Amino acid sequence: MTKIVEVKNLNFSYGAFEVLKDVNFSIENGDYVGLGGYNGSGKTTLVKIILGLISPNSGDISVLGKDLKKFKQWSRIGYLPQNVSLFNPIFPATVYEVVSLGLISKKKFPRRITKADEKTVDEALQELEILDLKDKMISDLSGGQQQRVFLARALVNDPELLILDEPSNALDAKTRNNFFNLLNRLNKKKGMTIILITHDIGHIGEHANKLLYLEKSVVFFGKLSEFCHSEKMEGVFGHESQHLICHQH
Amino acid sequence: MNISFLEFISYSFVQRAFISGIFVGVLCSILGLFLVLRKLSLIGDGLSHVSFGAIAMGLFFGLYPIYFAIPVVILSSIFIVKLTHKAKIYGDTAIGVVSSVGLAGGVLLASISHGFNVSLLSYLFGNILAISTSETYLSIALSLFVLVTVYLLYYELFSVTFNEEQANVTGIKSDKINLLLVILTAITVVLSIRVVGIMLVSSFFILPAVTALQISNGFKSAIFVSALVAIVSVISGICASFYLDLPAGASIVIVNFIIFLFSFLWRKGM
Amino acid sequence: MKKIIILSMLILSLTGCGNSVPLKKVDNTKNKITIITTLFPVYDFAKSIGGNKADVILLIPPGTEPHGYEPTASDLVNINNADVFAYTGDFMEKWVSGILNSLTNPNLEIVDTSKGTEIISGDPHIWLDFEHDKIMAKNIADAIIKKDINNKNYYEKNLQDLTEKFNKIDNDYRTTISSCQTKEIVYGGHYAFGYLVRRFGLEYIAAQGLSPDSEPTAKGLIDLVDQVKRDGVKYIFYEELASPKVAETISHEANAKMLLLNNLESLPKNDIENGKTFIDAMYQSLDNIKVGLDCK
Repeated sequence: MTKIVEVKNLNFSYGAFEVLKDVNFSIENGDYVGLGGYNGSGKTTLVKIILGLISPNSGDISVLGKDLKKFKQWSRIGYLPQNVSLFNPIFPATVYEVVSLGLISKKKFPRRITKADEKTVDEALQELEILDLKDKMISDLSGGQQQRVFLARALVNDPELLILDEPSNALDAKTRNNFFNLLNRLNKKKGMTIILITHDIGHIGEHANKLLYLEKSVVFFGKLSEFCHSEKMEGVFGHESQHLICHQH
Repeated sequence: MNISFLEFISYSFVQRAFISGIFVGVLCSILGLFLVLRKLSLIGDGLSHVSFGAIAMGLFFGLYPIYFAIPVVILSSIFIVKLTHKAKIYGDTAIGVVSSVGLAGGVLLASISHGFNVSLLSYLFGNILAISTSETYLSIALSLFVLVTVYLLYYELFSVTFNEEQANVTGIKSDKINLLLVILTAITVVLSIRVVGIMLVSSFFILPAVTALQISNGFKSAIFVSALVAIVSVISGICASFYLDLPAGASIVIVNFIIFLFSFLWRKGM
Repeated sequence: MKKIIILSMLILSLTGCGNSVPLKKVDNTKNKITIITTLFPVYDFAKSIGGNKADVILLIPPGTEPHGYEPTASDLVNINNADVFAYTGDFMEKWVSGILNSLTNPNLEIVDTSKGTEIISGDPHIWLDFEHDKIMAKNIADAIIKKDINNKNYYEKNLQDLTEKFNKIDNDYRTTISSCQTKEIVYGGHYAFGYLVRRFGLEYIAAQGLSPDSEPTAKGLIDLVDQVKRDGVKYIFYEELASPKVAETISHEANAKMLLLNNLESLPKNDIENGKTFIDAMYQSLDNIKVGLDCK
């Protein structure tokens, strides 16, 4: 099985404050990983390091089989950051324009969007059932619709790896359901590897096949079934929590 | 005394006013859109003050002011960006810091060299009706250079302006793009001040963009509207200067504002 | 906290606070009377009258636009310590009335040189009328004599010489202008020659209003250009201290040439240092008028 993400001996500190210490794990093709941990445990930082947005203090990281330092094929990765609706609310852009920005990573200078590209964007919009919103201004949409637009942008290049940071916080129950069904489809039908950050461990148990629990270092990483049968984990989380997570399956 | 519009535009200085005004207006309004969305809208104004200081410094040292001012203003614009990142202040505050230093520096230098040398003042109050042929060529060349750059880097600029982090994730070097935007702005400010003066440059950077934000329905549309508003303001302002006997520069700014007002009311009414 | 206080004191001392203010004096001889003047014409007259018995200082630096001048703190101190302070008039140096309260020297002779002149409302350039120059000079002389009664004869002699020079140049202007082919001065600057025009019966159009900062309108410029073409005007005059761009535009459009006509608010620094006088400069202007208006 190809390793989609491989992290060895990762360390990162903000000044004197240690954020990540001796982090080691590897994610395989087709995994659906729930990345959990309390607020401030380093989840977002870890993901940003994998995406090349932050430089670690030490460690070896490889993404899609290549050394991160030399990695340039960003179109193979899709990223949905936390709090997407905190973009500038007055920004004048249509849904189509925003999603087409996702295509840029595949292009070389001077980057232009072609007719063929327009089709690709339409397909991504269709996948997320927002094709009818194509020419609407993004600031006029609801939170749930905006979420789908940004997901469409992350998916427009048909990435092999999709990373999402707390995507369901602002969504209502129904929208959240649809959202997770979609992720399931992408993972099961298209074989997309997914890393989903959430502080809601109970919920992720329902969808993911692996759990990575982070508290500055890796507390647990492995199949969900292992987690559920682990006495050690029961000791760490307490019987109630473990049951809550595992009960979902 | 009535003369026809055709006669009006047969005067070469009127032609130069239209041409330079339109090119400079389009240039500043398009750059302005990016700057307003990055909350750097006052950078046009701020860099104008720095230009004042830089030109005063140039005159003080006996150098040709524009050649001296360009690198100084470019460095100041870079400094503004660095301040924003490192000194825990927002873009507009950083602009304020640099702007007031530029202005005060200019006043100090002017007074050391004994008074506001009038050539200094003439650099500030460019006169759109007194533009020379060489200045017209300069406006056209500068505009084309910057507009072509913006066209080639449209998606990079769009992406970075929309969300810097996302841009980075797609492999765009947003630091470099920010720097480029700010340097292009610096060059534009220095050269445009010479042609149309500070008042017009500052307003071209803000008013058309703000109007576009009221009525455009997409980003490409916003760029187009910005440019169009600038063009209409220039043409109307110069016409008002003739038909209503008003100062041209101020008229352009007022027309610009009236257009903004209409677009704002139209949007509210929708 | 202590650090901040020490730092503050350091900064204050660096900028000179606590030191004595150096006085502007050209010559430290105690025998001379000190006259502080604002504008070049006043400076020139005071110098001519005071001769080698007076120390005359020009407050507004050469090359500076006088309409927007604001006195510095050291200016005020210098004025207060002088014997005579002569200025054009309240319509020109608007800041004078404001500082009168701050002046504590009871022996300071303050001269409003415009007393007795026939002022055109809104136009402060009164020195462009030679009759006015005589009056201004007399006002200055009276004040100087008050402060230095012993040398009365000396000053009166100088005043007489100066008055004769004014009469002569007035005559030269009159004679020359009467022979001009055209009496129309077209000026690509702000309106500053009202007094000259009134005295010698000339016609005068300027591109801008009375303020040097005012923008010409397109209509204004077109009217001017049309009139220039219509009247066959061959020369456009421009001013020393402001941008010649407007004059250039007009002359370019109307195929005319450009000539300098200084309104004498100021002269370039070099000229003053080389001893160029008011009368010298007015004769230079006459030369240019001769060319521009096609006179003998």
